[in-house]
Amino acid sequence: MIKKNRYKKIKMDFISATMLNGKSGKKKINFILSKVKDGSILVVDGVLKPEEEIDLIKETMRRVDDGFPGIEVCSLKKQAKGWQQFFDVLSDRSEKVQDIIWRGITGKPINKGLKTGLTLIGPAKIIKDVKKNPDSFSVLAEV
Amino acid sequence: MVFNGFFNWFVNLFRVRKDIRLGIYGCTNVGKTTLANRIAKDFTGEEIGRTSKIPHETRFVQKKEKVLIKSNGKKLSINLLDMPGLETKIDYRKFLKFGIKKKAAKQRAREATQGVVEAIKWLNHVDTVLAVMDSTKDPLTQVNITLLGNLEAKGIPVILVANKMDLKKANPEHIKEAFPQYPTVPISALKGQNIDELYKAIIKHARKAG
Repeated sequence: MIKKNRYKKIKMDFISATMLNGKSGKKKINFILSKVKDGSILVVDGVLKPEEEIDLIKETMRRVDDGFPGIEVCSLKKQAKGWQQFFDVLSDRSEKVQDIIWRGITGKPINKGLKTGLTLIGPAKIIKDVKKNPDSFSVLAEV
Repeated sequence: MVFNGFFNWFVNLFRVRKDIRLGIYGCTNVGKTTLANRIAKDFTGEEIGRTSKIPHETRFVQKKEKVLIKSNGKKLSINLLDMPGLETKIDYRKFLKFGIKKKAAKQRAREATQGVVEAIKWLNHVDTVLAVMDSTKDPLTQVNITLLGNLEAKGIPVILVANKMDLKKANPEHIKEAFPQYPTVPISALKGQNIDELYKAIIKHARKAG
């Protein structure tokens, strides 16, 4: 007699930041949400910008239905220290200035790509809890 | 010189000064409407909205205009905006546990998702934000991090409100440690504890509009 596998499956997709950086803001959000709505947990080696994160929440809310209650997101940013922190702040400011100029010319935000870090995005139906610390996070998933 | 001074005085005489749009943001059930009610009642005598233990009681932006905050002899006129709670997930089944019928629960969930979208849209129109957090809970949630990241990117002044300080489990220090770069005021919106410190902070940190 063949024993039935009593474990249900979880699909995890590991996505490179390079792959997401190739997509525009809206396409990036659509890509993430279509994967998550299909039941995948995404792990990306990068961190979305704050405005992309809030767009992700907004778009998630538009897609919530009986079978898809939403998402769980957790990210870890690279914590720069000392001179690196100073240069990061400088680089952030310079990005903002570049963005203002670019918007002025093209009317669109500049596509600068993901920041260094790690992001996990998954369906709230599967991810039951996320515990976050400044340098780590743990995820409890249930199928 | 004298002419310039007179000219500026004359222009200021007719200049319409906009009131500061003070947005109250945070996750669900952290006490945003309780705080909005406290502020509105202290300075206008009227409450702004209904509170409930069931999440997403506030599903539409609630406004109270021309609220004149006074503290230490200083005054500030604000338009108070109580926002629906921000969440990354809304499941109608959660409302069933509170005795709400399925049809009403689904309607509540639908309105709540629209409320989150509306609250996010308002981020482009607020001048200052009170980011309310529950002192009894872990403040390092992705919603809090995303909210603060966006406000920082937009250059909007933020005051962290460590609410529910009257509860035994409360640890406002945890919020200060998690987000040391922001002014943090521990309060109890329900009991009014330390509320004057919050009014002082609003007058001090609020960005002038108009």
